[in-house]
Amino acid sequence: MPNNFPSRLALPGRRRFLAEAGLGFGTLALSNLLGEEAAAAAAAPLAPKSPHYPGKVKSIIWLFMTGGPSQVDTWDYKPELQKRDGQPLAGADPKTGFFTTSGKCLASPFKWAQHGKSGTWVPEIFPYLSRHVDKMCFLHSMHLRQNNHAPASIELMCGTNRPGLPALGAWETYGLGALNSNLPAYVVMHDTRPRGDDQIWSAGFLPKTFQAMALDSRRKEAIDNLARGAAHSDPQQRAQLDLIRELNREHASTRQTQADLAARIDSYELAYRMQMAAPEALDLSRESAMTQAMYGLERPECATFARQCLLARRLVERGVRFVQIFAGKGVAGDGSVGDVPWDCHSDLQSNHRSCGLHTDQPAAALLADLESRGMLDSTLVIWGGEFGRTSDSQGAKGRDHNPNGFTIWMAGAGVKGGLHYGATDPFGYKAVEKKVHVNDLHATLLHMMGIDHLKLTHRFNGRDFRLTDVGGEVLSEVLA
Amino acid sequence: MKPFTPAIIAMLAALAAPARAEPEGLKLFEEKIRPALVKHCYACHSAQARDAKKLKGGLYLDSAAGVAAGGESGPVIVKGKSKESLLVKSLRHEGLEMPPSGKLPDDLIADFAKWIDMGAPDPRTGEAALASKQRSISVEDGRNWWAFRPLAVSKVPATDNPVDGYIRAAQQAKGIKPAPRAAKEKLLRRAYFDLIGLPPTPAQLESFLGDSSPGAFEKVINDLLSHSAHGERWARHWLDTARYAESGGYEFDGFRPGAYHYRDWVIKALNADMPYDEFIRLQLAGDLLKPESIDGAAATGFLVAGPFPGQITAKTVERIRYDQLDDMLMTIGGSMLGLTIGCVRCHEHKYDPIPHKDYYGLASALARTVQGTKNMDIDPEATARALETHKVQGEAPRTALEGFVSTQLPGRFSAWAKAELSKLPPAPRWQWLEPVAYEAERSFLKSTAGGVIAHDGNITPGAARRQRGRPAAAGAGEHFRLTFQTHQQNLTALRFDLFADKALPQRGPGLNADGSFQLAEITLQARPLDPASKAAPVKVKLKAAYAAAEDPNQPLANALDGKPATAWVVKATAKRDNAAILEFDSPLAGSAEGTVLELDLVFKDQGIGRLRVSATTEPGPATWAGDTAGQHDSELKALAPLASKPMPGQVGLSLARWFAPRDAETAKFVRAVRDHEAAAPRPNMAEVYTTAAGGQDVYFLRRGEVDNKQGKAEPGFVQALWRGAGAPVARQGVEPRVALAEWMTDMNSGAGPLLARVIVNRLWQHHFGRGIVATPNDFGAQGERPSHPELLEYLASELVKGGWRLKPIHRMIMLSETFRQSHEADPANLAVDPENKLFWHHRPRRLEAEAIRDALLAAGGNLDPAMYGPSVLDNSMRRSIYLRVKRSELLQVMTVFDAPEPTASIGERPVTTVPTQALVMMNSSLVRQQAEKLADRARPSPGEPVAMSVERAYRIALGRDPSPAESQRMTAFLAAQAVGSSDSGRKALVECCHTLLCLNEFVYVD
Repeated sequence: MPNNFPSRLALPGRRRFLAEAGLGFGTLALSNLLGEEAAAAAAAPLAPKSPHYPGKVKSIIWLFMTGGPSQVDTWDYKPELQKRDGQPLAGADPKTGFFTTSGKCLASPFKWAQHGKSGTWVPEIFPYLSRHVDKMCFLHSMHLRQNNHAPASIELMCGTNRPGLPALGAWETYGLGALNSNLPAYVVMHDTRPRGDDQIWSAGFLPKTFQAMALDSRRKEAIDNLARGAAHSDPQQRAQLDLIRELNREHASTRQTQADLAARIDSYELAYRMQMAAPEALDLSRESAMTQAMYGLERPECATFARQCLLARRLVERGVRFVQIFAGKGVAGDGSVGDVPWDCHSDLQSNHRSCGLHTDQPAAALLADLESRGMLDSTLVIWGGEFGRTSDSQGAKGRDHNPNGFTIWMAGAGVKGGLHYGATDPFGYKAVEKKVHVNDLHATLLHMMGIDHLKLTHRFNGRDFRLTDVGGEVLSEVLA
Repeated sequence: MKPFTPAIIAMLAALAAPARAEPEGLKLFEEKIRPALVKHCYACHSAQARDAKKLKGGLYLDSAAGVAAGGESGPVIVKGKSKESLLVKSLRHEGLEMPPSGKLPDDLIADFAKWIDMGAPDPRTGEAALASKQRSISVEDGRNWWAFRPLAVSKVPATDNPVDGYIRAAQQAKGIKPAPRAAKEKLLRRAYFDLIGLPPTPAQLESFLGDSSPGAFEKVINDLLSHSAHGERWARHWLDTARYAESGGYEFDGFRPGAYHYRDWVIKALNADMPYDEFIRLQLAGDLLKPESIDGAAATGFLVAGPFPGQITAKTVERIRYDQLDDMLMTIGGSMLGLTIGCVRCHEHKYDPIPHKDYYGLASALARTVQGTKNMDIDPEATARALETHKVQGEAPRTALEGFVSTQLPGRFSAWAKAELSKLPPAPRWQWLEPVAYEAERSFLKSTAGGVIAHDGNITPGAARRQRGRPAAAGAGEHFRLTFQTHQQNLTALRFDLFADKALPQRGPGLNADGSFQLAEITLQARPLDPASKAAPVKVKLKAAYAAAEDPNQPLANALDGKPATAWVVKATAKRDNAAILEFDSPLAGSAEGTVLELDLVFKDQGIGRLRVSATTEPGPATWAGDTAGQHDSELKALAPLASKPMPGQVGLSLARWFAPRDAETAKFVRAVRDHEAAAPRPNMAEVYTTAAGGQDVYFLRRGEVDNKQGKAEPGFVQALWRGAGAPVARQGVEPRVALAEWMTDMNSGAGPLLARVIVNRLWQHHFGRGIVATPNDFGAQGERPSHPELLEYLASELVKGGWRLKPIHRMIMLSETFRQSHEADPANLAVDPENKLFWHHRPRRLEAEAIRDALLAAGGNLDPAMYGPSVLDNSMRRSIYLRVKRSELLQVMTVFDAPEPTASIGERPVTTVPTQALVMMNSSLVRQQAEKLADRARPSPGEPVAMSVERAYRIALGRDPSPAESQRMTAFLAAQAVGSSDSGRKALVECCHTLLCLNEFVYVD
């Protein structure tokens, strides 16, 4: 059978039986034959599991800056580049991006200033986030191999560039289970679907239990089939569920080898509870007017992202493990492309201003809100997109894709605030110092959650796969 | 004394080198190299690193022996040759980038180069750790791996069905007693879902329950095996292993509208019980083995069904190609051989005897295989039949014409000629040539008045179907062949007119989406009209004389240079008519008896939308100006001298053709033949997503990296699966992919025995929930061993003996007592074998996503039985195998019940239980609608007693009658639900039916 659990949980020689016993939630008829933890794992793949060692991070919120923001116009200030606008960029490789670039330096068009105790340089497009720089741990030397949106997003989330492998969030819930069984453990939010779609939040070869639930901000009903049919009243449905349970129990009583039957009985109860819990979690009207205003819900230019950020906090508050928000475009007509808003090929300045407007206030509010609720002690917020941009120009005012050096930041549990880790060259073109590959980032994130990335494996088609493929080093310097 | 051989000299030189280099080299080593190694390299490349589990690349740089041994990427230094040394290349960041923390200073890198050029003197002792040595894989040992041996059948048990003998022997050894036979209704439901993926209808249930003959069950099995739904059920299992999908994944996930032909082909092959070896051969090389048949093209859809990026940059093109080859190899390995071949891309297989050479040999066999589309006749037999009928019907007008030609034509012509011939105007400069035949590779042409060849738009050319971001299909260029006849001699030039037309994309003249065309080659061949003539066809040499609005970079001459890569490109910008003149190198002598001109136009993509070809007999440089007219009159003038003699058949027909515009009676007979020809039946063409020629040589890659090529690979196969002479390579003169297919199915020397084991194991797995080998896609050392090795051997050899037909194996398995056991579990057995490895009872199993949806539709009586064709969305009532499989938008109703991600070969699906499944059953409109329909089926007339409706609903949904207790509970539930409603209990019955569909029993089969 295909379902293997993290190796530390699988008892030698029992794996097959465990899997056969099903992936249910409820009690396991034969649990006396097994170790208790193993039995629990078999019965409930999303039940909380003990980590390899105590982790500081319980939940991650990843603000995915879809399309690839420019590092040299966001968090990687390069005075040398500012000085050499229009001059040749030494070592420029026209094959770096998707199109062809000019080979001439393009200075950042924004005003920059230093902020916080860390003296971090921030461009004018982030007036709100600039107040939080001392919470942020910057990884300036990120790099990966793919130079187009979908493959790079797949590499960033799944560790290698090929589709079909599980994403970080799937591995995480596979390793740790859920904290709230009434809600999905792994949630993705998007506006227009980002390029790569499901492949970016796939469970790959892991059981679909670990697939992200995608919440489309454009849809009225957030979760499929969550609402009871119009013809049903609650007491009617309750009576029906009671009868289903009764008949199912009778059926299961003569099929004791099948623990999944019991799990399926329980799944109806869980679904019934989810029917109530999920709408409550998704209901932003329960937030105070002040909170809503803090996130920017009333500002049309950032309302979508604000709702998503606030929702992310509510979900994490209720135990969701991994929330990823794919930033959509701001207001209509700002020139950005819906599925890749930060993709500033033609006009970097207006593009990044617009993207800043769309994301800055909500992201900053999320940090402030988490902090004020004490949730930043167990939640890690990540800001970053699938790659950076070229330091030389594409056309007159744009920048092309650049996977060779880009910045992401992490804030909250587990990391040192105000730290600048690694560096690109003086022009911000390539990561040169303490280079961080995606595998290293994943190893570090898993570590912060208490998982040893070398031990979190899944056997598929004859190979023990892990998120970090054959690489991955924990970045111990960034750990708090 | 013999002179030194070169090898010995080299050895001596190597020994001498360090001595010569010292002490200067050693000084350099101690001052620069050693400190740098310690500081920058030891952390990952030393014995210490190994002990800390941080060793990288199997490379030790902490001893001279380690440096000499190299690592997984091969040797790191070539003494005396810094430029060829991987160490220096890595330090310079060429290919590898070392150290990873950042490039060392240039002067230090120069020191490393100097040190290597000095022979890399190194005083450090210590052995290269053993771990750095590659584990050598013995192919010879590999051949003895249980799964790689020839099939060997032990003594066949004497039981009625040998399957039971093998199973019982293993049970007896453990003191296990098999479960009793399952109840008839359970057995029937099991057989139906197993073989056709649908529940039995109440009538089918009744008929089986009423049949007490000993052969009743066998009859059911035979009926089900010959049911067309059988192919639909089992094709889905195979499609999992083939990672079948209809889109490219990645960036734009471009849809492949012609991909479904592969799915249909699998269904048809399984229904026809195509021999499994043929089934495999066609998937590997059907396009080459059956080039004219849609079956061949559809079958190799297998190879190219994997994901492929929609946007490719110069930087990524090569890596993507190797990824694609890897995808094909992994899928071939997993689905056909149960082997994990993909691992070998980067390193020799750690567990199975598959060295690098085998992987790249296999990859090389696929080197010339890329994805593309072909327009093919969807049902060639029907086309052939229609053409035959048409041909027979054409005999009457043709005979009439021939009769007219031999009896009346000469007289009518000479009468006319006497009076009119001399009055004809002189020949115009340009004569329109009227085609007598016209063919095209990708689409239909028709000729309109005046001999204008027009694309008639009947078949949508590929361009119109192209998806956003998809590159043009490779190797799918258009090819026109136009045939003309003339009796004139000394033609000197051709002229092409290319007309703009509102019906064309961007008004043409080309058929490409932007109105352009790219004409790669023009060739003209002339031969005598008389088929008996012995004169050889002549290739007419053409010169580019003139082309209107010519692009100097892509001129007309490009179409005459014999190079298919260059083309005459005409864009649509002008939206005007366009023209070109092609002069003959020397006038075409031709024959007074008639000449056939065959004009071939080969395009790089789509063809020309409206084309007219004219000819002239004027000597000297052809000019643009001058009058134009049809060729009739000039032909009549040329034919007149022949018309008085007894005319050969061809000449008579020609005369009729050209005389028709001048004579109504002749025209009547000619038109009858033409009208019939124009009404020729057309094949039903379809665009098939399949393999195409393309690709380039394959190289060995170190660690699978395209920047690290090691030498060209030649086609070859898995050596451990080869018992013939020499190494398994493609025979001379055989397409490597055909050779691959031969090797794969070769029982004597090749992979045949493993192929047979893997497929019979899959049959067993889908009948029992677990294979004899529990890891169906891994028969290697990492996979599980067979629980019943002798049974596996027996089934595999029965398959081969029976001509590789699968249906007899299904029959044998399902008619065994082992298959017919009840699901009941004896506690004593359970204690001994809790996993049921010995198959002592039949484990209940949850249905797959497709079977659940199909069963829901069947319960509602809504299942649309239409087979084949383009995929549909989930609002359709078709069977689930016809649902669209788009990689980025998998249908939730499928994935929620564990339909797999179609990115890699899947041998077995996980079975998960999550609340979202319960939400589908409780709240989805799909289930609710089926519950309503089921209620209507259960109570056809409102006056019926409730108990009867309940009973009928049970029979439809669960294939059995309710127990009295169940009946009672249901009736009570109905009564409670009906309180206060005024619809005579219909809604309450819907709730009852909805409840039945939500039951575990509905989605589980005992």
